[in-house]
Amino acid sequence: MSEKKSQLVIDNVILSFGGLNALTNVSIGIESGAITSIIGPNGAGKTSLLNCISGFYKATSGSIKFEGIELVGKSPYQISKLGIARAFQNIELFSGLSVLDNLMLARHTHLKYSFFESLFFYGKCQNQEIINREYVEGIIDFMELEEYRKAVVGELSYGIRKRVEMARALTLDPKLLLLDEPMAGMNLGEKEDIVRFILDIKAERDIAVVLIEHDLGVVMDISDYVYVLDFGMKIASGIPDVVAKDPAVITAYVGGESLI
Amino acid sequence: MAINRWIQSGNYRRSYKEDQTIFATFSEQASLIVFLIFLALVPHMPFMNRQLFRVVDLAFIYTIAVMGLNIVTGYAGQINIGQAAFMGVGAYAAVTITRDIATPLFQFGKTLPFWYIIILLPLSGLVAALVGAFVGLPSYRLKHLYLAIATLAFQIIFTWGVGHSPFLNQGGSIRIARLDFFGTVIKGSKTIGPFFYYFALIVLIIMAIAMRNILRSKYGRALIAVRDNDRAADAMGINPGLTKVYAFAISGFFAGVAGAIFALYNGSVIVESFSLSTSIDFLAMAIVGGLGTMVGSLIGPSFMLFLDPFVEKFSGFAQTIFPSTIDVATAMRPTIFGLIIVLFLIYEPRGLANWWRLLRQYFWRWPFKY
Repeated sequence: MSEKKSQLVIDNVILSFGGLNALTNVSIGIESGAITSIIGPNGAGKTSLLNCISGFYKATSGSIKFEGIELVGKSPYQISKLGIARAFQNIELFSGLSVLDNLMLARHTHLKYSFFESLFFYGKCQNQEIINREYVEGIIDFMELEEYRKAVVGELSYGIRKRVEMARALTLDPKLLLLDEPMAGMNLGEKEDIVRFILDIKAERDIAVVLIEHDLGVVMDISDYVYVLDFGMKIASGIPDVVAKDPAVITAYVGGESLI
Repeated sequence: MAINRWIQSGNYRRSYKEDQTIFATFSEQASLIVFLIFLALVPHMPFMNRQLFRVVDLAFIYTIAVMGLNIVTGYAGQINIGQAAFMGVGAYAAVTITRDIATPLFQFGKTLPFWYIIILLPLSGLVAALVGAFVGLPSYRLKHLYLAIATLAFQIIFTWGVGHSPFLNQGGSIRIARLDFFGTVIKGSKTIGPFFYYFALIVLIIMAIAMRNILRSKYGRALIAVRDNDRAADAMGINPGLTKVYAFAISGFFAGVAGAIFALYNGSVIVESFSLSTSIDFLAMAIVGGLGTMVGSLIGPSFMLFLDPFVEKFSGFAQTIFPSTIDVATAMRPTIFGLIIVLFLIYEPRGLANWWRLLRQYFWRWPFKY
């Protein structure tokens, strides 16, 4: 890992809430253009780690560098502007808005017009809206959301909302996509769809994906690299085949049996 | 703002540009024009009298303030119990700018020229917007009820501060000169009513267009994002704190413009016009109209103000039934308006705007039920 250039370098991150350490000396490197999975039992600190990267938590010590820029201490919106997009585990969409508006919201920083131009709307503002609408339509096409374009998000089914959540993160046009359990609570067909989307994102858009997932079958199938966390500590890392046979991982998960 | 809007069959949108239009179909455009012509003709109707002019003019002025309130409370989801104070800031800004800066500078006599008013309105709005942004600063940290208390505090401080500053005549009446509209001095009820009808209406239309444009641009979407889910808004690259502050600033601007017109309309400013109860009235108008809807902020104030004379008549009638020792008449107004707010909150939290929506849908689908 170290000989390759990593896009995101997490170095000795400690996150503690009072006396409780959610993350202890976690060091992870994420390569560009690859699918990196972070797995671990419940409460291992996976989501906390994502929260540290995307700025919702401030790491107590250590550094997180994205393309050489220090992320610790930055606000989520600043980190988002650097090109890190996040899809939440518990759907955090704007439930009163349509799918289209949800995606247009993700274009916020790409819409280049001032407040005064928006007052008159016609002219630059309208052009920008149309250009970005075209981009959003591209994402809608990519994520196969055409039929839900104008549906209010709050009225959609869980599986579709999860997909909208992913689409919205993708609409930010990120360099790094953080997916927090995109397949939680889905049936097999929906899971296969999401896997297909993740592989497409990697292949067509050349976006690095960080995936947190409990479905180990999926993780072992699609990941390029896997990190295993347990009780806030990194217990193993490597390519899927190596990790699956790691005795520490097997102990953490099932206590003695082989994973796959 | 493309919230699942049903349009009549036969209307196709062939480009993204067409999808942005506000009044898309022919019937919408036609009914808008008819309605505007109707509004333009109203002052010439035989039934228009002094009282009715006052109600309509006030409705227009309040509508501007309520539109601002709807931006901050309806769209951005930040409760503001100080809109009347922002309006007061605008009114006092208009009066003091005229008294202490403009009159010595431009040597105004007994009247103010019209071009000055055109400058004065945005200027007062700007002052109120700055105050609004300042009052909105706690929204970086505070949410929901706590923020409401912060705006309430501003309302109290405003009333107290004006009441204790000799500069503002300790809340007493400060006069502002009457308008000179290209040779016609706007003075006396004969001219004030119709003039301010058109004047407030035109300002209202300009502000409404501006509001609609804000709402269909990224700034409007950011407001709704902050209301629905500020965590996710943060992850989308929207600075939630700044968005809330600018929502307060826009709201203040609207209120300030309304306040300046209000001052010119009355010819004087007095602190009692901008009391806490007026703020709550504004909130009631926004709620009854429908929070978070453009139509709501246009209907709400008119509905409440037109109800006022009826309530007064009714309370006069109630007074005749009860013995004169019980003062029913004064208690009736707050009781009835309180009841209306409560009933709306329970049975129609989406306000009159929802009725409007249902009505429109009924006519679109007619003769079918769905």
